[in-house]
Amino acid sequence: MNILSIAFKDLLIFFKDRGSALQLFVLPLVFIFVFSGLGNVGASETAVTRLPAVDLDEGGTAVALLQKIDAAGGVKTELMAQSDAQTQLAAGQIDWLLTIPAGFSDDVAANQPTALRLTSHPDADEAARETALLVIDGAAQELTLQAQILTSLQMMAEMQGSTPGPQVFTTEVIQAQAQSQFEAAAARPLISINQTAPGRPDAETAAPAPFSGPNVTVPGFTVLFVFLAAGATALSIYNEKKIGSFRRLLAAPISKAELLLGKMLPTFFIALIQVGVIFLIGVFLMPLLGMEGLTLGEDPLAVLLIVVVMALCAAGLGVLIAAFAHTEGQIGGGSAALLWLMGALGGAFFPTFLLEGFLGQAGKAVPHYWAGKALYGVLARGQRLPDVATELAVLLGFTALFWLVGVWRFDFD
Amino acid sequence: MKKMNEMILEVKDLRKQYGSREVVKGINFSVMAGEIFGLLGPNGAGKTQTISMLTGVVEPSGGTAVIGGYDIRKRMNQVKKINGLVPQDLALYPTLSARTNLNFFGRIYGLRGKALKERVEDVLRVVALTDRADDPVENYSGGMKRRINIAAGLVHHPRLLFLDEPTVGVDPQSRNHIFESVMRLNRERGMSIVYTSHYMEEVELLCHRVAIIDNGEIIALDTVKNLIAMLGGGVIHVGLNQVDEALLARIRALPGVAQASLTTRPAPPPANGGEAADTLTIAPTHPLVKVEARHSQTALINLISFLNEQEIPLVSLEILEPNLENVFLHLTGKKLRE
Repeated sequence: MNILSIAFKDLLIFFKDRGSALQLFVLPLVFIFVFSGLGNVGASETAVTRLPAVDLDEGGTAVALLQKIDAAGGVKTELMAQSDAQTQLAAGQIDWLLTIPAGFSDDVAANQPTALRLTSHPDADEAARETALLVIDGAAQELTLQAQILTSLQMMAEMQGSTPGPQVFTTEVIQAQAQSQFEAAAARPLISINQTAPGRPDAETAAPAPFSGPNVTVPGFTVLFVFLAAGATALSIYNEKKIGSFRRLLAAPISKAELLLGKMLPTFFIALIQVGVIFLIGVFLMPLLGMEGLTLGEDPLAVLLIVVVMALCAAGLGVLIAAFAHTEGQIGGGSAALLWLMGALGGAFFPTFLLEGFLGQAGKAVPHYWAGKALYGVLARGQRLPDVATELAVLLGFTALFWLVGVWRFDFD
Repeated sequence: MKKMNEMILEVKDLRKQYGSREVVKGINFSVMAGEIFGLLGPNGAGKTQTISMLTGVVEPSGGTAVIGGYDIRKRMNQVKKINGLVPQDLALYPTLSARTNLNFFGRIYGLRGKALKERVEDVLRVVALTDRADDPVENYSGGMKRRINIAAGLVHHPRLLFLDEPTVGVDPQSRNHIFESVMRLNRERGMSIVYTSHYMEEVELLCHRVAIIDNGEIIALDTVKNLIAMLGGGVIHVGLNQVDEALLARIRALPGVAQASLTTRPAPPPANGGEAADTLTIAPTHPLVKVEARHSQTALINLISFLNEQEIPLVSLEILEPNLENVFLHLTGKKLRE
């Protein structure tokens, strides 16, 4: 109960401070609104991902597919010999490989289902792979539709030719046939994409989740602002020490662990409220304003778990900051700058695959990266809990580390 | 005052060390139930460190204390229920109202519901702030903040209350109100109080017994009356150009003089001068003789006559009235408020 009393008191203080409330609730929404509008433009203009490809078919449709992928922008195909490509993939010299199977063009022409294979190296950047996948999927759907309509028209022409007499295919019949082809193409894609890692059997084809601006921007900014709340924990502990109430609490019949938990709990609650507000506005308000709405993916439980673990991690980070930052300047200035930097490295502002070399790898050293990756996977890529288990485990590891070091180094005197 | 036949606090060789620096050096004292006990000493003497150890804010480096029958090294959680702490800082949440602050501190001590409400109203009455209870603390005057600071330490009705410099920065009216509150708590509720201060007037007024603490050590402990009696008829500091043992022996022999010795010179009074109204300092730059008088007036007259007869020039003269301030000066050679 003492923990809750401390947490309740801190929440009262927090909500009386309009500046903090503004930073933690209004600012993220401003960022999300602005960047959701810009998101599509930015992606098409800047993100260019190299896509090594092996064409075992060498037919016209395979060539057309590669041209469509290149024309879509964001991805540049690069044809390789199969043996070279597999060697390089196994060595990690290339991150992924698109294989067009032999007989691909014939299958498409015969309206027979066929599957492309996207093989990824285990260390490949997920976000970049996702970009490539979306482009391949778009090009494949276009080809599917094109092939199915052509086949259909061909069939109709043959039927018309073999039928003497009046016109069999009126405008209405042709329109109905075209509509039917659209629906069939959407429901049963002629060209599917199997994703796999080297040496593993092909996975089930994953249908990418509906792709929207908010689904891309919300995960990053949500993570950024949830972790910014860690600064509020540190500042609250600093203020408590500064005014002397920390001494008073230490003299009360509560344990030091209760005291620290009580100080961390508000950050946890604030983070949950913050994410709740962001999601509610993304799902309900943005469509009302004529913007693309946020979708919460296929697995709400996964979203909830990610948010809870992320909030715990942010609370632990708050105690860690409080343990090392001893002045208002260190907390207000230093740690805030650090949290924004961590957010940037972790992919809050732009995908981490755009950062090359050391900076690209440095993102993995911050919890923001793993939280963002998990949230992005569930919200934007239709992933489920088992798919983001690794990210959650890493995030829990960060949480444990922050708590342990924070409590160990915390100066109660 | 409640009958003082039971010990509420016994401090045994309590020590606190930070690195090589020992800030509390093995102190011993006891406080009886219903007693107001003063810890008098200058800033940095070790008063707050002592209280911090007794209230569980910091761990002692050595020794221990027993409060209400519980050893603070073994049963601090029990001890904390007995203790109340009013820290030197205004340990309140300024944006919250006084009532919300008191509710919070009451809940921390396990109070809930009706009991909590009654206690909060009770302590608001004690500090006479019921009518302002719903105002944010940040809108209070300094004195009102001090009073709520005390109320926050009382809300759980502690048996032993530690008041750490509760009147620092307080206007005279609020100061008097605090004194009255402390005396009423002791008289009407039998609350035992450990009161630290570097204002000797407060300690003289409130405390039954006083420990004088300096450099982490207790240098005297007794009732205020007995401590002052240590000065006998008072102490006279005489500055002379030259002093030898023969001269000291002749001064000792003067009527009204109990003792005469060379002493170190006390530091000059504070720049505002307000704290040294009972002293007359002429020029404190020469050897200083401390004359302990049986009767200050007789000793002074005889001393001046003797110096005139011997044509020994008087360079400085300081008469220390018998009070705790001068007891401290007498014992340490330092002013209490340095």
